[in-house]
Amino acid sequence: MLQTGNYSLVLLIQLVLLTYDLFVNSFSELLRGAPVIQLVLFIIQDIAILFSVIIILLMMFNTYVFQVGLVSLLLERFRALLAFSALYLTLSICLHCWVLNLRWLDSNRFIWTDGLQALFVFQRTAAVLYYYLYKRTAEFMGDPRLYEDSLWLRDAFARTRQ
Amino acid sequence: MPTVKSKKKKVKKEVIAAEEQGEGMEVEMENRTNRSNSDSKDPLTPDLQDPAPHKKKKKKKTSTIVQETEHADIPNGNSAEPIIDGEEMTVAVTRKTKKKRKSKLAEHHSSDLRAEDDSIIYETQSPIPQHALFSAPHGHSQPVGKVFVERSRRFHTDRVEQLRHSELADDYMDPRQIWTTRDVALKVHHGFRVIGLFSHGFLAGYAVWNITVVYVLAGEEMRTLPNLLQQYHPLAYPAQSLLYLLLAISTVSAFDRVNLAKTSMALRGFLTLDPVAVASFLYFIALILSLSQQMTSDRINLYPTANQTLWPPGTEHQVLRPWIVVNLVVALLVGVAWAVVSTRPDIDYTEEFLMTMEVEGYPRGDENLDIPA
Repeated sequence: MLQTGNYSLVLLIQLVLLTYDLFVNSFSELLRGAPVIQLVLFIIQDIAILFSVIIILLMMFNTYVFQVGLVSLLLERFRALLAFSALYLTLSICLHCWVLNLRWLDSNRFIWTDGLQALFVFQRTAAVLYYYLYKRTAEFMGDPRLYEDSLWLRDAFARTRQ
Repeated sequence: MPTVKSKKKKVKKEVIAAEEQGEGMEVEMENRTNRSNSDSKDPLTPDLQDPAPHKKKKKKKTSTIVQETEHADIPNGNSAEPIIDGEEMTVAVTRKTKKKRKSKLAEHHSSDLRAEDDSIIYETQSPIPQHALFSAPHGHSQPVGKVFVERSRRFHTDRVEQLRHSELADDYMDPRQIWTTRDVALKVHHGFRVIGLFSHGFLAGYAVWNITVVYVLAGEEMRTLPNLLQQYHPLAYPAQSLLYLLLAISTVSAFDRVNLAKTSMALRGFLTLDPVAVASFLYFIALILSLSQQMTSDRINLYPTANQTLWPPGTEHQVLRPWIVVNLVVALLVGVAWAVVSTRPDIDYTEEFLMTMEVEGYPRGDENLDIPA
């Protein structure tokens, strides 16, 4: 069974990572006095996204549902988050590489093209959906049914075996 | 009480008989009484007998009367009497006889009174040990009651224990100890909902302020656009960043409240024009529109540095007009979304969904399975 203290701590870490991500997405364009600042911010942001995904995956592995082998049940339930996390991480890395590549020599240069603008819009929109799904999933990982044997789980197990 | 009365009557009869029989018999009885009293009381209250003879007789008299009346009133005296064996019964009888005798014969026989007083010395002492004897269980009434309850009715005892436990749990248990992961999740959700509510209002106000400033700086018929660029360029990028931050929080909050991940519920909300669903749609559109103006915002931001290449003379109107219109639309959208959300601030479908997180809620499990979270 998941301990409340452990869950609170993990949830806090997840929310901190999300907050950092939102902060960088919002204000990274302002913090471009030197290209290295953006470089550090972007590297930490990408690592934070990766950490977030790893944490949510570890939480999933910690569930009783996963341990009895009902991985498909978890994937079915949280597939949207996993998909958006992968999409968002990919878009973020692409955008960061592109922006840094263009701004590396002159950080105050006008770099915008239609392609970059489109990628920017997609990345920021995916970020919002990722925040929503991640927060929701992190809250739903506190579902006690995922951590103990129950009639619901037995029924799901029986249905999967059929 | 009736037994006491009948005994009193018995005593009266005995007293009359004793009077008839004479003094010698009385003395004999007294001696017997004294002996039997001392015999019976010694093992029970050995220490209380010694200080008694030192007391003054008058005091003893009054105290005797008080003790007598008390003894007659206390029902416990009856319950104790059957325990007394034959000899003690006679003691009790003689004791009461002497009490009555003391009150009746005190006037007639002053010399006898002396002798009776001697016996009264023991009598005055006898109620005290008796009282102490009966008061002893009173002191331990709680544990005795417990044992009785547990022995006689086991089921009842269990219930009492359960009730006691529940009461203890209600009174003394720390609320943090009974916190579950669900409670933590709900608290976090509540916290974010408060932030979201603040964000909705702040965003609406900020967007309206932003577009007002832009229109004021642009002048009538947008004739003073260079003035707008000159005045607004330091604010353009921070404003854009803040707008994205607030829009992101507001959109996530609106999605949370409509429970967007549960597709069927969200679709039903959109089709029935649920206020929260409409608001989340408006916020999402505003977000995309706002993001689409990132390029123009950066262009405004770089107005003083790259004036020649980015802003050739005469292109201000062409670049700024769509930007102003989009900002106006964004301001209208977030304003309307805030108004719509404010009409039903109590709707939160995700919270309702989180509330159903319990093992016993098995019927809800089937619904949960269908959710692509």
